[in-house]
Amino acid sequence: MSLLKNYPTHIPIKGIDRLIMGAACFFGATLHPENNNYITGIGEITAFEPVLTRIRDSMLSNKVGRQILRERPRITSKTLDLDYLKSLPPDTFGNTYYKWLQREKVSPDTRVPVHYIDDEELAYVFQRYRECHDFHHAISGLPIVLEGEIAVKAFEFANFGLPFAGAGAVISPFKLTQKQRTRLFDVYYPWCFSNGLNCKGLINIYWEQQMEKKIDELRRELGIESPPPDMRTLRKMDGAKKIT
Amino acid sequence: MLRFSIQRSTRYFSTSIPRQQQHLTDVAIIGAGPAGLSLAAALKANPTTKSLSVGLIEGSSLDPVKNFSQSPPENFTNRVSSITAQSVDYLEHIGAWKFIDQARIEPFDNIVAYDGLSNSRIEFDNMEMGTMCENINLQSCLLQRIEELNDPTLKIWDSTKVTNIANDTDDAANGWPVIQLSNGDSVKTRLLVGADGFNSPVRKFAAIESRGWAYDRFGVVASLKLKYEDYRSIAWQRFLPTGPVALLPLPEKNATMVWSTTPELSKLLVGLPEDVFIALANCAFVLPQVDLNYYYTLAQNEEYDELLSDIKWRFENYTSKPTIDIEDFPIALESVIPQSRARFPLKLSHADSYVSNRVALVGDAAHTTHPLAGQGLNMGQGDVKSLVESLELAMKRGLDIGNLLALEPYWAQRWPENHVLLGVVDKLHKLYSIDWSPVVAVRSWGLDVVNSLPMLKDFMMKQVSGK
Ligand SMILES: Cc1cc2nc3c(=O)[nH]c(=O)nc-3n(C[C@H](O)[C@H](O)[C@H](O)COP(=O)(O)OP(=O)(O)OC[C@H]3O[C@@H](n4cnc5c(N)ncnc54)[C@H](O)[C@@H]3O)c2cc1C
Repeated sequence: MSLLKNYPTHIPIKGIDRLIMGAACFFGATLHPENNNYITGIGEITAFEPVLTRIRDSMLSNKVGRQILRERPRITSKTLDLDYLKSLPPDTFGNTYYKWLQREKVSPDTRVPVHYIDDEELAYVFQRYRECHDFHHAISGLPIVLEGEIAVKAFEFANFGLPFAGAGAVISPFKLTQKQRTRLFDVYYPWCFSNGLNCKGLINIYWEQQMEKKIDELRRELGIESPPPDMRTLRKMDGAKKIT
Repeated sequence: MLRFSIQRSTRYFSTSIPRQQQHLTDVAIIGAGPAGLSLAAALKANPTTKSLSVGLIEGSSLDPVKNFSQSPPENFTNRVSSITAQSVDYLEHIGAWKFIDQARIEPFDNIVAYDGLSNSRIEFDNMEMGTMCENINLQSCLLQRIEELNDPTLKIWDSTKVTNIANDTDDAANGWPVIQLSNGDSVKTRLLVGADGFNSPVRKFAAIESRGWAYDRFGVVASLKLKYEDYRSIAWQRFLPTGPVALLPLPEKNATMVWSTTPELSKLLVGLPEDVFIALANCAFVLPQVDLNYYYTLAQNEEYDELLSDIKWRFENYTSKPTIDIEDFPIALESVIPQSRARFPLKLSHADSYVSNRVALVGDAAHTTHPLAGQGLNMGQGDVKSLVESLELAMKRGLDIGNLLALEPYWAQRWPENHVLLGVVDKLHKLYSIDWSPVVAVRSWGLDVVNSLPMLKDFMMKQVSGK
């Protein structure tokens, strides 16, 4: 097969190069967890085609999933009107998401484009997963400290079956303190796995169109229980040090 | 439903009303389908067997067949079969093929069969693979040949149903069959041939067991128009988990299809609005199974607008992938001829024997098969050829043609051959009904291997084309 680009940000890599790149990212990520390039690299390398194909097929089997694949919405500060979200009533999903962005001091633009997935449609599926990641935080109320990140990954793994999310949830706890780990296993994992498995396919949610909806109603529709105890509050109570 | 006496010991009494005649024939053929007409023509074209008096009895009217040569219908009819080169040779041999309406047949020299789950494919190309021909065109050429032979000892009763068959003596081993006709007449015959299709009254009369099973599948047939003429002359077949869907070439922009699928889906497909059916049929040859499943659900819910607009998007989106070459697929369909959609239950069946005293079975009366290999009608032609040869030999030896000694060579030759073919087709159907991925992987690998081995392919093709 040729090494032609299948979409603008595509970087075609093949066979052995792919392996080497995967290994490099893995070591890079362990040594420099603060460098986001390594993490996203692993994500793409481990998002094996069969897994992405399965997620894509679950989208193709669902009306909204197909609509998303057809319209290919992107989530950026341009496509999302943050001022509008700010103006929404506090109990709406949109406003919750806005508050979450504020509290975590992030913006919808902090997502990296997909480079290493060959099929253009699968690349979009992965991009979509990446861009919806913050919505998963918002709906579960989990912060982006390492501990919260692991918990969201567990939630996503249970829902999507993405190996990267799974590996993150299994391997990363070793970087936590004993106390954080216990809290993760006792409080967050049970919530994440049971909700991730039982709620509707998150990839088939057109989040952009749920902004005006009351967050409790949205959770009910998706089959998600009320969020786990606020992690930041628990951490404060424990006087834990912020990691990220 | 008609009831047929299977009690061979029942003595037949001719009724006393005078205008009811009893006819006497050497060979009485029930059924003027492709097999029955071919047998009648072949018997009369053969220098030895032509002295036999023949009666051909058909329940429906033969007027459409008679009118076909003078005023053929504008559009293609929906019952179309692929005729193998071997069958064409035989039809030429008995002098019938010259009457075929050449403008309405289409030879093809390529078969492309591909896996609906893996898109793994096998391609056969060879001159004279087969010829697509409407069943009525074939019947018409046979009838014209019979008219050309103009033999007074051949009599055709059409629009005449067989209402009963019985034996003329209590002694089944020596009696002659007597056929009761719906017009009140009866026919007493030295040899009774059942060319009477799957539900064969003759087979029931002879108490010959037929074994097999329904596939729980229907074949949806339709006459179609392509967007533009396909000069490649390819017979396409895609194996979907629900059954194969085939698109077969006819002259110019015409094509015919057999879409084997579940009973529910077949019913749905036959009843869909024409534009929706065409859109879905186009998808069936190209799109992945996940899309088809989604569309079936939309079709069941009658969400036709949504279905059409989604297909428009998805088709474009899918075929523009760099891994997809639109040349690998059939030309898009444009429309379906109104009222040309119909569905037929598919089954495998094989009679335990083709002969008993004064009885022989040919064609679908003896065996039915899944249409995926396009062999059903051709097997019937093979039967006819073999039966006529056996009768010729028997006559040369001075045997009574109704005697088992005369008939047994026919069944000894045909039964094993047909049995192998029925088995292979059955296994193919089963193999491709599986959507468990390890099986898909192995069969795709197998297909890729076969596709890359020209010698093996040649061998398989000889089996299919009968040459
Ligand atoms: C969807 C589909 C696609 C097919 N495609 C192909 C193909 O591509 N190639 C191929 O080779 N084969 C194909 N076949 C098979 C082929 O159509 C049959 O094998 C063939 O038509 C059988 O011919 P026949 O003459 O034996 O029986 P039939 O055509 O069934 O003829 C039987 C005749 O007997 C008459 N009859 C029955 N009972 C009585 C009675 N009591 N009194 C008087 N008359 C009676 C009937 O009216 C009928 O005319 C296909 C079949 C189907 C269902």
